[in-house]
This record gives sequence, C-alpha cells and structure tokens, in this order.
Amino acid sequence: MDKTTIICRCEEISYEEVEEVIEHGGRTFDDVKRLTRCGMGPCQAKICTGLVANIIHEHTALPLSEIPLQRMRMPLSPIKLEILATNSTAFSAVKSVLDEVEIEDGKVR
Amino acid sequence: MHIENHPILGKQLQEPVTFYFNDQPYKAYTQQSVAAALMANGVKKFGLSRKLVQSRGLFCSRGRCCSCYMTVNGEDHVRTCMTKVEEGMSVYPNLEDPEVRREKHGD
Amino acid sequence: METDVLIIGGGPAGLAAAIETATRGLDVTIVDESSSLGGQLCQQTQLIRPLPSVYQPMRGFELAKVLTEQINDFTVGTLLNHRVIGLYADGSVGLSDEEKVFPVKAKKIVVATGAAEQAVAFPKWTLPGIITIGAAQTLVNRDFVMPGKEAVIVGSSDFALDVASQLLEVGVEVKGIVEKNPAAAAREKEKTDALIGRGIPFYFNSFIKEARGNGQVEEIDIEVNGEILTVSADVVCIDGGRSPILDSFYQLGCSFGYQKELGGWIPQYNRQFKTDRENVFLAGNAAGISQQGALLLTGMIAGISICEDLQTIRSGEAEEIRDALWEELKLSEYKDVWEGRTKHIEKFSSPVLKDQFIS
Repeated sequence: MDKTTIICRCEEISYEEVEEVIEHGGRTFDDVKRLTRCGMGPCQAKICTGLVANIIHEHTALPLSEIPLQRMRMPLSPIKLEILATNSTAFSAVKSVLDEVEIEDGKVR
Repeated sequence: MHIENHPILGKQLQEPVTFYFNDQPYKAYTQQSVAAALMANGVKKFGLSRKLVQSRGLFCSRGRCCSCYMTVNGEDHVRTCMTKVEEGMSVYPNLEDPEVRREKHGD
Repeated sequence: METDVLIIGGGPAGLAAAIETATRGLDVTIVDESSSLGGQLCQQTQLIRPLPSVYQPMRGFELAKVLTEQINDFTVGTLLNHRVIGLYADGSVGLSDEEKVFPVKAKKIVVATGAAEQAVAFPKWTLPGIITIGAAQTLVNRDFVMPGKEAVIVGSSDFALDVASQLLEVGVEVKGIVEKNPAAAAREKEKTDALIGRGIPFYFNSFIKEARGNGQVEEIDIEVNGEILTVSADVVCIDGGRSPILDSFYQLGCSFGYQKELGGWIPQYNRQFKTDRENVFLAGNAAGISQQGALLLTGMIAGISICEDLQTIRSGEAEEIRDALWEELKLSEYKDVWEGRTKHIEKFSSPVLKDQFIS
C-alpha cells in the first residue's frame, strides 16, 4: 500500500506511521495508538481498528486472533460535556471526573 | 438530486423544508438527514480535516466515523448524518476546531 | 428507570428478542440511537430469504414494519433517539437522550448492537464522495437522495451487489465493481450474473491505486492486472465487509473470542445466547455476522432464554423451543457460518481473551 495512505481518518495517521510502530515492536492496536494518536480522534477508533489489525497481521504474520481488541472507553459515542455535567439524574461512574467539577449557573466555579 | 419517485418505495418525499448552508437557501424534505439534504443539493464537502486540512464529507452514515461533523444552528461538531434537517436550519462547514472558551458556553 | 429486559438496539434481532419476552409477560424496554425501529432493515428493499418459518418471504423494510407492529401489541417501552454511553458502577446502563444522562436498571440485558462496516483504505479515500456501501444505500432508500451520477464499487459481497442493483434502479450509472480477489465475493452467483448481464464491468484481481478530485472525488485509478485504468466517478462505495459492534460488551466486561467465520472478534456466548457476564445476553450480528433470517432466530433464542431465567416459561418448554430454533438456525445460515458458530459455542467455557476490561 502507498505509504502516505491515511489509516486513521480523524487523527490523520498514515500507513507509514503505523508501519514504523510495528518495526519498533508494536503488536497491538493500543501500541499503535500510544505511539501515534491513531484512534484517538472523535470516532474513537471505530473506523481504523480493522485496518490497523490487518497491517499488523501483514507485517508480523501474527494471526488476527492474536491481535487483541483495542480498549474501548466511555462515552461510547460523542456527547456534549454539558449533558454529562449538568443534566444527569445520577452521580456515578459515567460522570467520572465531572463529579469533581462544581457548576453554578451553567459555569464551572 | 432528490429521488422524487423511488422505483420500489414510490413517492415518499412530502414535506419540503428550506434550510441554509453558508447562508444560501436549499430545498430538502423532513425525513432527510442534514448530510443527505446537502448531498441532494450537490454539496459533498462538509468541512476540512484538522491536521492536513483536507476535504471531508459523509462517510459511514451511521453516526460512527464523525467525518460529517458540521456546525448546525450554532452548535459545533454535530454529526449531520444522525440529525434530521428542519425548516430554517442554519448549517456551516466544519473548517477548524471550534473556539471553546466562549462566554455563552461558560468561560 | 427500571425494566425487566433492556434491549440495546432495535434492529431485527433486538425486535425478535422483544417479541419473545414481551409476549411472555415481561416488561421490555428497547433503546435505539435512530428515530425509528427496524435498524438497517428499514432501507433494505431487496427480498429477504430465508426467513424463519413464522414469516412469509418479504422485503427488508416490510419485515421491519411487521416486526415493529408485533411489539406495538404489547407494552414495550421504546426509547428512540437514545444512546447508550456507558455503564454505571452498580451495573445500570447509562443512556442519553441528548439532554441528560440517566441510568436504567434491568434484570436482563440483550445487546443487539449489530455490525459495523469495515473500511478499505487507499490513497485519498478520505475525499468527499467516497462513502461506505451502506451509506450509499441509506441515501437512496431512506433519504431518497442520489449519492452521485457515476459510481464505482470497491468490493463485491452479496450486500454490495444488492446495493449496486438498487443504485442502477434509481438511475446511478455503476461504472464498475472492483474486487481484489479473482472472483466475486458474493455467495449468490445470480447477483453477479445479473449485473454482468446489465453490462456492469467487474474488475477482478484489482484495487484502487488512487482517488483524485478537487474538494470531492472526481476520478479514480484502478489497477487491473498491473495496468492503470482511470475511471471518472463522483461516488465511490466501499464494501469492506462487516464486523460486530463490541463497545457495549466491552463496557459490560464480557470476554471475547476470535471466530473468522462470524466476523472476527465476538463475545463468548453459550447455547442460550448468554455471555459470560451474569444477566447479559446477545443477539443478531453482534453475536456473529449472518443472514437476516438467522439474526431473527438468534434474537428469538436469546428472548426464550431470558424468559426461562425469569421463570415466565417452564425450563423444559424453553429447552424444546430453543432446540427447534437452533435446528432452524442451522438451515438458515451458510454452512461455514454455522460451523463457526458451533465452534465458538464449544469454546464458551475456555475464553480466548479474558478480563480485557480494565476500568
């Protein structure tokens, strides 16, 4: 594949950048993510996961069954901070760090 | 182009609306997504990528890829494939990261 | 909010599970991100077959209607335009209606999140006008919008060829179907033959060398047997196959196993379509990519198993119904998919990938 081909659409990480991580020993999606920001944009790796797994597979001959899934974090899709911070009906793990922020009249105090 | 008479589903487009892209009026129908309404009017470029400043538009149409982000009714980063077009809606392209430190959003 | 059964995803499998559980007296809530039930069925204009014996053969959108009408006869809560955004510490599912976030506590959860289309990358595949094959179908059959005038399709699955015909029917010129392998991926050969009969070129052993265009795709270079063929196109549809959507399972702490025939990584589950997490069931493409009829059956099995767990049906009766549904499932899906599923279920007690979830 052409080296400049974009693999991660959001963070605009190229094939070459993914390849470089593999040359340095990267064997999982999260390895590539930590070294390049691949999968850290708004879609949160929803499009590039399979592409990266295939590149790892092609370069290392590791079977796809030995290339683990990426970590998937909350929130599962983009959500306004405002919704998380001000309008939630229960305080819990979903809000995480936002529990620590105090809001007054819609503003962070 | 709108499909006025679908070969299997028939005439489905009933409630026309006018929406604005870059302040220009365009015609769409209520059941359409904002992204589809733009494509019906020949607009495919919805914005620019953050790093390499390349053109972006609809990709997955499932609310997953975020490639169709636009500014809708003053709100930035709206997934236009998951948002239905409405009468009088104002749509602008997503040309750069929004300014977050604004008074109306709580500085 | 509390409910007996929370079904995540209102597509065919989720609706099938809802019908089984609601008809047996359970309080059922379906959550779906879109504004209508039926999932991807709503824009399928092709005939769906085979279907479980209780249904007549019909087109996808008709099936969506039939399924939706069935749940309307019962008190099923439907939370449309609601998204699952995560999980609370007490096991409640966090939903958002775009105004607030709230927890839903359910005795049983069915994850029926379906499948996502996989991408195929090539130089400048990010250009506007280059969309997934599913997006092209949505534009034509749901939004009633022409995606373009001249289309090239990358990939040749059964689904891609269905959409190719649907594009032709609304007047889009299909300039070619590009397949990297020496033959079409579609299992139903008559689909390939029908398109060849209509003069649509298939380019085998081929791939997209590059897309070009000013602000949107205008032409693409196809590499065919080492030669470059330049084709003008204002829409390119990518068919990279599908894989199960796993985010919710991951949050719920389910284990995963790899099964190529079922679409790659999928949650571990048993004959009851129950995962290794207490009270978490699954159905549909999320349990392995298969055909529409088979997806309905998986939803029905999950639904029956929940009724058994919540004792609205006798265990013996549940087992009988489940056996019959499994028999039908065997007949409803392709042999390799069925064998993959059987293998996957045999591995249930020895998960390949355990405890991936780290909070």
